[in-house]
Amino acid sequence: MLTVTMTVNGQKVAKDVDPRTLLVQFLREQLNLTGTHVGCDTSQCGACVVLVDGKSMKACTMLAAQADGCEVTTIEGLAKNGELHPMQAAFKEHHGLQCGFCTPGMIISAVDLLQQNPDPSEHEIREWLEGNICRCTGYHNIVKAIQHAAQDMRS
Amino acid sequence: MGVYLRPRALDEALESLAGRALTPLAGGTDVYPAHAHQAAWNGAPDIDILDISALDELRGIVEDEAGWRLGALTTWSEAIEAVASGRLPACFEGLARAARTVGGVQIQNRGTLAGNLCNASPAADGVPPLLSLDAEVELASLAGRRRLPLAEFVLGNRQTARRADELLVALHVPRPQPWAHATFLKLGARRYLVISIVMVAAVLEAADGRVARARVAVGSCSAAAQRLAALEAALVGQPCDGSLADAVEPAHLAVLSPIDDVRGSAGYRQEAALTLVRRALNELDGHRREAAA
Repeated sequence: MLTVTMTVNGQKVAKDVDPRTLLVQFLREQLNLTGTHVGCDTSQCGACVVLVDGKSMKACTMLAAQADGCEVTTIEGLAKNGELHPMQAAFKEHHGLQCGFCTPGMIISAVDLLQQNPDPSEHEIREWLEGNICRCTGYHNIVKAIQHAAQDMRS
Repeated sequence: MGVYLRPRALDEALESLAGRALTPLAGGTDVYPAHAHQAAWNGAPDIDILDISALDELRGIVEDEAGWRLGALTTWSEAIEAVASGRLPACFEGLARAARTVGGVQIQNRGTLAGNLCNASPAADGVPPLLSLDAEVELASLAGRRRLPLAEFVLGNRQTARRADELLVALHVPRPQPWAHATFLKLGARRYLVISIVMVAAVLEAADGRVARARVAVGSCSAAAQRLAALEAALVGQPCDGSLADAVEPAHLAVLSPIDDVRGSAGYRQEAALTLVRRALNELDGHRREAAA
């Protein structure tokens, strides 16, 4: 066992883990943060995307031990004081989902995009989302939601 | 249960490697999917892991007179950013383009250039651009350090010249002539998230409107990506007047040995490689003429 310490959604956590525990397993099974989903297990679908030190990462592509000392933000950490994050609000408003399985990863990826590019074109949004797969193929409203969130967050 | 080590100092990592066989792990983007895939088929490998992601001395890009040294933990995203910000010059444009084709953004944020080389897939997107830059790898062990040209490091499908006690610690790219541009073209079944059928990387150095040196590498068409030496020789001295692509003959691609597989037939690959090499040279020729105009 190995002790890992990290800040998850603003709260410091320290846990003993098997060194081979993936970050996504750690979040879901040890911290009960089940908003981060496991879709493919092969780092393709993007349902498990979280922010690690502000950058979007696939939580099935890293070990919990590799996030030792890092700041991790999951979908549960976006809303503040009961208010949805503007990206969450935009996904709700523009119905950027169908079954909802890919949504946590889509939203976190989109948050990272707007940190780097506050005014992305439709093409840039679609290109950025290449690592997030919506199996319902509901991309149209996802892209629309991100465009609106970008507008809201700039104003 | 296998061993898992995450040292903070390189010496400590090298000592561990000297003692036992360990699989170095950095971004993990090749290791975890392979693990999950095998686990699904009841063959989970319990490999012993040396996690090098905490070795801060393997980070960063440094420039000196001879060229550039890219630490082994340099990620695809860092390479893209360095080219976009001008910290790495135009000759790295091919590498940046290749980086953008490696998985999605989140994979580019974790995966490392060095890991791509060590994994040594015939379809590794990082190999052709780095071959065309004459990159060398720096290997460290308790016995000391050595540098090897990339062509002598990647030996075949999943085969490298890395000894079990060695760690790849950096990549070195020599400085090209003042006017040097690069490109990278990839053919896949779709635009994104796809394994290459053929890829071509080229670096063109020009002086006085003529080719001073051309370096062209083709990937996914042999067990290890290949430079096209015969073509490179034929290009030297050619005028950059829009006709460079015409200098490419099918015989220049004779060093390739593509295979038939699920992604394409050997004949298709050979044909596509010829087309992509011509397109790459045509593009660089165009850059040169724009610069001259």
